[in-house]
Formats: sequence, C-alpha cells, structure tokens
Amino acid sequence: MDNGPIIKLENVTKVYHQGKINVTAIDGFSVAVDKGDFTALCGPSGSGKTTILNIVGALDVPTAGRVTLEGNDLADLSRTALSTMRRDRIGFVFQAYNLIPVLTAYENAEFVLALQGMPERERRARVMEMLKEVGLEGLENRRPEELSGGQQQRVAIARAMVTQPAVILADEPTANLDSATAASLLSIMEHLNISHGITFLFSTHDQRVMDRARRIITLRDGKLAGDERKG
Amino acid sequence: MMWRLAWRNLLRRRRRTLLTALSVATGLWVTLLFTGIANHNWDNMVNTSAKMGLGHVTIEPAGYLQSPSANKRFTADAKLLSITEALPNVTRAIPRIMAEGMIATATKSVGGSIIGIDPARETAEHNFFLRSLATGRLFHTADEPGVMVGIRLAEKLNLKLGKKLVYTAADVHGNIVSDLARVTGIFQTGVEAVDGGVILLPLEKLRHMLGYSDNEATLVAVFLNDQRRASEVRTAIIAQAFPGTETWTWSETQTEIAGMITIDHISHLFFQFFIGLLVAAGILDTILMSVLERKREFGVMLAVGSSPLFLFRLVLTESFFIGLLGLMLGVVVNSPFYIYLSRWGYNLGSLLPEGYDLSRVPLDPVMRVIYYPADVAGIAAAIFGLALLAGLYPAWKASRLPPVESIRSA
Ligand SMILES: Nc1ncnc2c1ncn2[C@@H]1O[C@H](COP(=O)(O)OP(=O)(O)OP(=O)(O)O)[C@@H](O)[C@H]1O
Ligand SMILES: [Mg+2]
Repeated sequence: MDNGPIIKLENVTKVYHQGKINVTAIDGFSVAVDKGDFTALCGPSGSGKTTILNIVGALDVPTAGRVTLEGNDLADLSRTALSTMRRDRIGFVFQAYNLIPVLTAYENAEFVLALQGMPERERRARVMEMLKEVGLEGLENRRPEELSGGQQQRVAIARAMVTQPAVILADEPTANLDSATAASLLSIMEHLNISHGITFLFSTHDQRVMDRARRIITLRDGKLAGDERKG
Repeated sequence: MMWRLAWRNLLRRRRRTLLTALSVATGLWVTLLFTGIANHNWDNMVNTSAKMGLGHVTIEPAGYLQSPSANKRFTADAKLLSITEALPNVTRAIPRIMAEGMIATATKSVGGSIIGIDPARETAEHNFFLRSLATGRLFHTADEPGVMVGIRLAEKLNLKLGKKLVYTAADVHGNIVSDLARVTGIFQTGVEAVDGGVILLPLEKLRHMLGYSDNEATLVAVFLNDQRRASEVRTAIIAQAFPGTETWTWSETQTEIAGMITIDHISHLFFQFFIGLLVAAGILDTILMSVLERKREFGVMLAVGSSPLFLFRLVLTESFFIGLLGLMLGVVVNSPFYIYLSRWGYNLGSLLPEGYDLSRVPLDPVMRVIYYPADVAGIAAAIFGLALLAGLYPAWKASRLPPVESIRSA
C-alpha cells in the first residue's frame, strides 16, 4: 500500500441528471497521484475540477469507475467509514466560506481534533503550533467575520493540516484572494508539503499558482487533456 | 464542543431564538394557568359538595346508595368515629341523619330535605350551611328544639328568627311523625334549590322523632386533608369492616359532579394537546428554517469529517436549549400570576349570574389556582418533550444533507 499511489482514479465517469438532461461532468478520467505530490488540477470553468476533488474526497460518488485512497476502494466503505476517513485522512479547503461562523479561528482549527476525541491539552498544543505555522499567532480568538479572506483561508488550511492527514484537497483556495495573499498562502502550502510530507491536490485557474505546482493535470470537458511534471 | 456550537448557533439568531423560547414559555404559561384554575375549580366543587352533607368519603348503611330511605341506619358510635378519624388523611368524621319531609307553618307547607346534625361536632369548616349563615346562629345543643332554614324557604313560609315551624317525616316503622322547632338561624348558600328546600335540625331530636336508637345515623361524613385521597381512605375504612355499612367516595355518591369533572378534565387534555401542537409547530418551523439556512455550513462540517449523527445531535441540542430556555422563561412569566392567583385570587363575582351553581353546588366566584407538583412536572415535561420532538425532523433533515450539493448551494 505504501508503494502504490496515494490517490488513484480509474476510468471515472460522473453524470449529473438535471431534469431530463444528462450532464457528463467527468468522462472516463484516470489518474494516479503519488504520496508527497504537490499537484494542480487545471482547466476551464465547467471542466470538472470540483467534481474530481469531491469524488476523491468521498463527498460525491462516481457514476462509473473506481477511486482508491491509500489503497482503499471508496465504493467498499460505509457511510460511517467514509466520514471517519474524511475526518482522519483527508483535509479539505474550499474556495470560500470554509469556516464555521460561530467558532473562533482557534476553535475552527480545533474542530476536527475534537471530533476525533483528542484530549483538550494535546489539542491545544497542536492547534497553537499549527496556527503559528500558518502565521495566525495572536488571532486565535477572532471569529471568521473578523478575519480577512486570506486569514480565513489560512485557518482553513490549519484546520485541514492539524490532523496530519494523508491528503489535502483544495478547491481553488486562492480564487478569492489578491495575488500577494495568494502567493503567501501558496508558500505556506509548499512549506507544509515539504516539511510534513503531506500530499496536496488543488484546483486552480490561476497561472501564477500553476507555476508553483510540481505537477499539472489539465482537464477539458471532463477528460484528461494534459499531465505535466516539472523538475 | 457540541454544546458550545449549539449554544452559539442560538445566540447567532438571538431574536429568533428568543421568540421561539417565548412561544414555549407562553404555551407553558397558558397550560399551567388553565390547569391551575381547573384544579382549583374542581377541588372547590368537591370540597363544597362534601360540606353540603356527604363528606369526601361517606360511610352509609348497606344498600343506602341504591335506594336511600330514612329507615336504613347504622350505629355510628364514638368508637367508629375515633377509629375513622385516626386513619391517615382523615381530618374529621361527622355523623348525620338525612331525611325527606314536609316543612310547614300555619299558612303554608313545602317539601324539603332534613339534615340532622350535632352542633358539638359541626363547624363552618366542614359544614357549608354554617359557613353560609346569613342571620342568627346554630342551635346550641343536639336536643334543643331549634332549626336552621334556608333563606328562600324562610321567605316562602314567611319565617323569621324565633318563629316556629312544624316538620313532618316517616319514622323507621313507616309512621308519619312530626315535631315543632323554633328558627335559630337562616343560611344563604346562593343555590336556589338548597336555600329553598333544606333545613338543619338537632341530631338527637331527629333521632328521637324517627325512632333511631342512640348513636344511630344515616351516614358518617368523612373529611380529608386532600380530596384526591378519597379512594385510599375508602379502602382503609372498608378494611375496618364496620358492621352493616358500605363506604363510598364523593365520585360514587355525587356521580353528576364526578361526571362533570371528568368531561372537563378530558376537554382540558385536548386543549393542552392543541397548545402543545402549536408550540411544537413553532419550534419545528424555526429549527427547520435554521437548518436549511445552514446547508453550506453543514456541508463543510460533513466534508471535514463530522458524522451525520453529529449534525443530528447538534440540531437536537439546539432544540433542547430552546426548550430549556422556554421553560425558564415560562417559570418567570408564570410566577407573578401564580403568586397573585394563589394568594389573593381574582374575583369574577360581578361577571357571574347570581346564584350560579353546578348540580346544586355553588361555585367559588374567585378565580384561584392550585398546582399539584405532579401536574406541574407533567406539563413541564410534556412541553419540554414536545420541544425535543419538534427538533427531531429538522435534526434528521440535517443528518441527511448531501454534502456536495450543500457546499455548492452557496
Ligand atoms: N449538481 C450538479 N448538477 C448538475 N450539473 C452539475 C452539478 N455539479 C456540476 N455540474 C456540472 O458538471 C460540470 C463540471 O462542473 P465542476 O463544478 O466540476 O467544474 P469546475 O471545473 O469545478 O468549474 P469551475 O472552474 O467553474 O469551478 C459542469 O458542466 C457543471 O455544470
Ligand atoms: Mg469548481
């Protein structure tokens, strides 16, 4: 299991039914992502990036094809097993509105650890360290509405990272940020990828973000249109 | 974590939370108020009716309930009375004689009920006629030739204090016997039929006239500290096996009143049920709305690993808090009413017709409340339970949210 790819999609197809119309969002897509990769998923709007991330993160099920995460076929897992897997093995970062509005930055980052049942003291140490790593020291007690977009995304990344998951899936994490903020968020992601060995798979439209990925997978109309490795 | 989250979610929608809690409080207030008033009315009716002759529990000659007759009697001696008074919850046991007869003056006569009482044992506390004394006094001794009459009867027969009347009844052998008495007092209960057709006579005089032996009586009226204990006390008296007697509770001797109370009780339950439904519908609506508004948030929570069960419990915890808050508000809202109505009461006298009565029992014109702990606990638990129940559907709904669409729905 350790030797194989951490994420593997084989011939994945996703068809949405919208009334009488069938929308094929993903069409026979296959790809494998290795452990420790820092991969960007690119493509025009509507090409299927979000759909792929949702399927990998077990938030959505493919119409056909096979998805494995750390060697586990997602189709074999129960609802409970899937939610445990999301909790313990996957970190999610969305484009916006990531955080639970009634919880502070600290509590948002702590949320998943609390779901895991980790003791308070241990939680505290981990969360404080993580918030420091993403540069949010001193902002622990702010509510999301009291943080800038970039700061909110950093809380989301801290929340995703703090459980030390196998994979972080990020759907256009920089789309709502100005370029300086986007660049600093990317630096944080790169740093975490290198120092903690966490696999990143993120979607983006942004050329400057693509430039910093080590692998770029391009989608077009739900099909693989390019797969480029750098370095 | 869940408690904190639930609590903050409610704080976030402060006004809506408060309004929902207020609807719970109002539901509690209305049901408590109406239950308290009904409890008082029923209690008052049962107690008043007990004081008008039969007591809360009645010891009678065997067969008297099926066919009452003045020749049916039993020995109600000091021993029977003291044994009965020593039973738990019994405050007083009073022997009385009941008979039907004619009451006449030189010019007129009317039919009426005759009640023989021992002035040494009767007090206003256990005798509604004494309590309703309008003028004069009770005869002093059980063999004084005195009589107390109702005010309407006095008017009909043109009687005044000190005037004489003749009463006639059938004795134990079936002979018509009569005697003379002087009016010592006039009572006014407010009930036409009672004020126009009841006289009170000294027990010994009546015994003598009807041919009863010493200590014989038609009934022993047993009074309790709480009318709800009647069945228990009846069982305890039956266990004493007093010879030649039967024992009944007020609901068996006063079936009309018991029936009225039962019907009233059932309509109250319906009323409470509908109030409960209204409260539940309000909570359901608010919580469901709040769940649908938070689809995206719940989607994110599911994505980062909350189980559907977590969301279910979160929403249920929110309705738990609303219920709890509502109960506390309800207690606060209810307290002034409770204190006012239980201490002073609200006099409805001017709104009620004169001589308002149910089944010959006058009603208390003062609106008061009585709360039994079991009622209050039951109502509070029911309202609280409904609040939780109303949270079930939204909670289930939250737990079934599809994560993807919820996240996309922003
Ligand atoms: N729930 C849905 N019902 C119907 N069609 C859907 C649904 N979700 C996605 N689609 C369709 O599937 C296709 C892929 O959508 P997806 O959101 O994955 O694209 P994307 O690459 O993330 O686009 P964007 O860059 O705009 O975020 C689109 O044509 C979209 O309209
Ligand atoms: Mg997208």
